[in-house]
Amino acid sequence: MESKSAQPYWNPYVAGVGLGLVLLASFVVMGRGLGASGAVASVITAGLDVVAPSHVANNPALAEYLKEGTSPLKDWLVFEVLGVFVGGYISGMLAHRVTRVVEKGPHISTPRRLVFAFVGGVLMGVGAKFARGCTSGQALTGGALLNAGSWAFMIMVFAGAYALAYPMRRQWL
Amino acid sequence: MADLMRKLSLNGRLALTAFVLGFLALFAGTPYHGADATINTKELSLTMAADADQVGVTTLADWIIQGKSNFRVVDVRHATAYAEYHIPPAENIPVAGLGQSSLLHNEKIVLYADDGVRAAQAWMLLKAKGFKGVYILRGGLDAWKDSVLFPRIPGNPTPAQAVEFARAREVSRFFGGTPQALAGDSTAARQVAMPKLTMPASPTAGAPKKKKKEGC
Amino acid sequence: MMAPFYKFGLFGDNIGLVVAFLVGIGFGFFLERAGFGSSRKLAAQFYFTDLTVFKVMFTAIVTAMLGVYYLSVFGFMDLSLVYLTPTFLAPQVVGGLILGAGFVVGGYCPGTACVGIATGRIDALVLFIGIFVGIFGFSEFFPLVSGFYNATPMGQLTLPQVTRLPYGLLVFAVVLMALGGFAGAEWVEKRMAARQAEA
Repeated sequence: MESKSAQPYWNPYVAGVGLGLVLLASFVVMGRGLGASGAVASVITAGLDVVAPSHVANNPALAEYLKEGTSPLKDWLVFEVLGVFVGGYISGMLAHRVTRVVEKGPHISTPRRLVFAFVGGVLMGVGAKFARGCTSGQALTGGALLNAGSWAFMIMVFAGAYALAYPMRRQWL
Repeated sequence: MADLMRKLSLNGRLALTAFVLGFLALFAGTPYHGADATINTKELSLTMAADADQVGVTTLADWIIQGKSNFRVVDVRHATAYAEYHIPPAENIPVAGLGQSSLLHNEKIVLYADDGVRAAQAWMLLKAKGFKGVYILRGGLDAWKDSVLFPRIPGNPTPAQAVEFARAREVSRFFGGTPQALAGDSTAARQVAMPKLTMPASPTAGAPKKKKKEGC
Repeated sequence: MMAPFYKFGLFGDNIGLVVAFLVGIGFGFFLERAGFGSSRKLAAQFYFTDLTVFKVMFTAIVTAMLGVYYLSVFGFMDLSLVYLTPTFLAPQVVGGLILGAGFVVGGYCPGTACVGIATGRIDALVLFIGIFVGIFGFSEFFPLVSGFYNATPMGQLTLPQVTRLPYGLLVFAVVLMALGGFAGAEWVEKRMAARQAEA
């Protein structure tokens, strides 16, 4: 569903090496890895803190994103995720792959696809909270550091996805 | 090997590189060299000769009273000793935990123990790990008690001594101590109880530092 | 030894945020290069037609793992200063299952959803909104789940510690597993392509 002049994707192994080097740079410069779900939590905390600060302070799941003396938005992951948007856009523009579209298989309608996208997102949000991270933070970062919990998480992500692949096939195939 | 590399596709070359690096990892040993340290003996001896490795108790007391926040005080004793009494803004990091602590390499850190031995050892360890701003509290907690908490004035003070003692008395009261006016007998002072820790801890140190979130 | 630079005080938090932004740009760039702005491409992993997700993910892991290992072995980097997320086995296992389910239902993960949004995918945007709802909902119901959330804490735990095998040996094992997986992935993709051509 890319525009006609869309360029082919890179060799996946080369892209993987690039990604690995970015991750390595993060380790070497900051001593930490990547992430995405934490940034969402920071944004939620920042938003709620404006309208209901006592509620945030009393809820440990939100309070952990508060920062002393500054906004929860002044957070490493928030800035990193902003960068992800920019980097993705740059690459997409260079390859003529930016196009307003709803990605879906041929046998499903757009509204249904969007409902599934929403439900999928909710599941991701819940899963990422329990696991303390998502594929970027736990699988990539923890994987490279041989973090035991991250490897267990990674395996279960594939297991969970393959388990639901058959029921979801109408969406994609 | 070069021949083989030439014959391979890009993917093949990547795979071979990964395999070789992975194979060599079997022999390369442990990656945890974090506990190793290098000591620049010349630099350290010069620092010691220049007395640039220590801070006096009255100087520290002044810093605390002035509310300076550009330094940290670290009590390297056991937790029970710390709980009994510690210099108000101090954090307790026993010597064994110094490696894993949250201390940053370019912070100003004042180490103390009961006298000077443990603090000096901790100083050496941190210097070896590359910490630039570590200092030993000259005389340790013993000197703190002597000069800051329980300053003594002789029976017949000279005018200069009286002025000095007036100042010391203010400092002592700030920290909840008890100035002594004794006839030169030092042993009686030790029996005075240590002040209760009612002084609010300095905002930079004492309060439990919120663990920096580095997850995802 | 001087890395990680931030942990050695070479720069402060504000520069750290700039670093975050730059790292993010690199991250998003390579994700899009691989094609992960497209949920169809991502989901294809789970139907064995396009195993790019596996290839990219494990190449990245192997690259970073080898880099970290050798930089540490040669004393350039202090591995003990790199943050390792503590392991909570049960919630991580369950979280993984739920996240995996969400992946095939939604078609993106949080990171790739950002790339999808940046390249115009509406489904990525809807999924991202779903993530907000999911995390918000989790936070609101936290008292109910906090017991399980904090279950089975194991502290910072690495595979070498769990298996009591040398770090270098695990590195080799991961490389072997990845290379084997790649060979298998190439074979599977060819078979699926042939089967589709026949159909």
